[in-house]
Amino acid sequence: MQICGTDFWVTLINLLSNTLEFAAPLTLGALCGLFCERSGVVNIGIEGLMLTSAFFGFIVGSYSQNPWVGIIGAVISSVVLSGLHAVLSIRFKVDQIISGTVINILAVGLTGYLNRLFVDSGTLPAAVTLPKLGIPGLDQIPVLGALFVQPPITWLAVILVLVANYVMYFTRWGLRTRAVGENPGAADTVGINVYFMRYANVLIGGAIAGLAGAYFTLESTGTFETGMTHGSGFIALAALIFGKWTPLGLWGAALLFGLSQGLSITFQALQQSSDCQFGVSKDVLVMLPYILTILVLAGVVGRAVAPAADGQVYEKGR
Amino acid sequence: MKQRKFSYLVMVAVLFGLTMLMSACDLGGTASSATPNSGAAASNTPAGGAATSSTPATAAGAAIRVGLVTDVGKVDDKSFNQSAWEGVKGAADKNGYKANYIETADQKDYATNIQQFVSQKYDIIVTVGFLIADATNKAATANPGIQFIGVDQFQDPTKSPKNYTSLVFQEDQAGYLAGALAAYMSKTGHIGAVLGTDNVPPVYRYGEGYRQGALSVNSSIKVDTIYHEDNNAFNDPDWGSKTAGTLISNGADVIFGAGGKTGNGALIGLAQTAAQSGKTLYAIGVDTDQYLTVPEAQKYLLSSATKGLSDGTSTLVTMAANKQAPGGNFTGKVGLAPFHDLDSAVSQATKDKITKLTSDIASGAVKTGVAPVKPAK
Repeated sequence: MQICGTDFWVTLINLLSNTLEFAAPLTLGALCGLFCERSGVVNIGIEGLMLTSAFFGFIVGSYSQNPWVGIIGAVISSVVLSGLHAVLSIRFKVDQIISGTVINILAVGLTGYLNRLFVDSGTLPAAVTLPKLGIPGLDQIPVLGALFVQPPITWLAVILVLVANYVMYFTRWGLRTRAVGENPGAADTVGINVYFMRYANVLIGGAIAGLAGAYFTLESTGTFETGMTHGSGFIALAALIFGKWTPLGLWGAALLFGLSQGLSITFQALQQSSDCQFGVSKDVLVMLPYILTILVLAGVVGRAVAPAADGQVYEKGR
Repeated sequence: MKQRKFSYLVMVAVLFGLTMLMSACDLGGTASSATPNSGAAASNTPAGGAATSSTPATAAGAAIRVGLVTDVGKVDDKSFNQSAWEGVKGAADKNGYKANYIETADQKDYATNIQQFVSQKYDIIVTVGFLIADATNKAATANPGIQFIGVDQFQDPTKSPKNYTSLVFQEDQAGYLAGALAAYMSKTGHIGAVLGTDNVPPVYRYGEGYRQGALSVNSSIKVDTIYHEDNNAFNDPDWGSKTAGTLISNGADVIFGAGGKTGNGALIGLAQTAAQSGKTLYAIGVDTDQYLTVPEAQKYLLSSATKGLSDGTSTLVTMAANKQAPGGNFTGKVGLAPFHDLDSAVSQATKDKITKLTSDIASGAVKTGVAPVKPAK
């Protein structure tokens, strides 16, 4: 079957494949937000965590010449930085928005400065990237098989959505996390360590954001550019809200956002010949998900309700 | 309790201080290079120093000072900024000028950065990129005693002062050559281009020139030109790489990447796909010889559609230093970079045709027929 001079199925599978990849960092970023906010800590520093881990993934990967080691570097840097957010907002009871903002600004300066240092040194080894991994068997299917050959972090994003869904709703950990996020006082009275749960969940979120950052360097072209996450962390937050603070919901939102990015490529590719115009600008396609997000936030497409204690400092004995 | 509050305040203060320091460092490192005597040319190479001393007439105090303000980005960006800076440095080393640069971190800082050189009374100020043109024009109007050179900035000579000369290129011609080469090399009869936003005229001219050049060789060839949306159009290697992958999966076998880091992403993406799939694929770079700047794509990089940025900047700086800058728009040279590793893949017949086409375009015998800016719909 042909559409606008290209094979329809090849185009469709390619679009879906691009969607999965574009959605991966958004999904992981939103999962970071999920763990933080479900335990009652607002984290608007996801963007900063992603940018920092993108840089450290790139540096560690380049020097070790091993992208898998690079992932570890990315995750550690993100965990350390989210540890800062945890200490500020839990131990020192700083306004969580301010603490998140600190992380975002710090990340821009830190990565810009360090990148400068390393690039100037001129001794940086060649960048490394992660190989694509196919699911044996499925990747041999003609045309459709291309969908089952994806880079590892894209696979991880899908797996972690399912894991997060299981953890949040089917384990004791998840129940306690949600309790701490909804009513920390009540959780405390039944013996749950509120501080511990919050620390742990923020750090878990940080590790996941580290994977999202690693996507930008290790899973793409391998090179780091200043400010290269360009707002993906905030789009991830939008996906979290759009998905109503649930793992499957946020995944759906991230896929929708990814789809709009994928469509902006596919539509342009299809509209190359003059007899094949849809009259839709690529800019409109890119804009659509955000309009939807606004509608959700405004309560038009079903209200999104945050965890009750989201963003509230917990002080024992009050 | 009181102590806790105190330590909290200290903590926040320290963190904000650290944050400011970090972000300041990023800019500070670059801004400090704007102070005289710390310039790269002054401390650059012994060769530069030797050149200075071999011209005895040039006293250190009287040396002509050239300041360069980058477009958002750095002087080692492997693209415009770097080429322009190399041009400035080349002219400075050769003639004993002093050269310095300021790297622009954000579009809002264009005027401020130009003003830094103005207040230090630099003789020549070079600004890079289409977006800084307005700020340059204003500064030139306000400071008639300083020579301004705008690299890659088309100007309306009736609205610009005499001390402002623009270095412009006919990107459509460079794109035309790249398109013709791509059409000669394509086996599938399908080629593509991954570009920054078409709202930036040079990018539009590259893309459309590429299309016209390909069609001039093979009127039935399929040419896909994909542009990024405006936001972040030149700093999105991930998008560039995926777009190249999409075009290749649709059957394209030659990809032209033109759009800063986004275009570089397309070149690298093509190299990754070619390495994994074993397909015969070719990439074509842009602006400078990207064989030297994107090592990841070397094996598959056929050529680059080049603008003589360094050459043109160097020429204009030297002219300006001798008070001979022409004002208005000064058209630099365009062409194709060497084939490097893929030299043997290009037949002699193709090479001859490209050579002839290059001279025909330069002489005006072949016209690209591309509008200077994207026509409004």
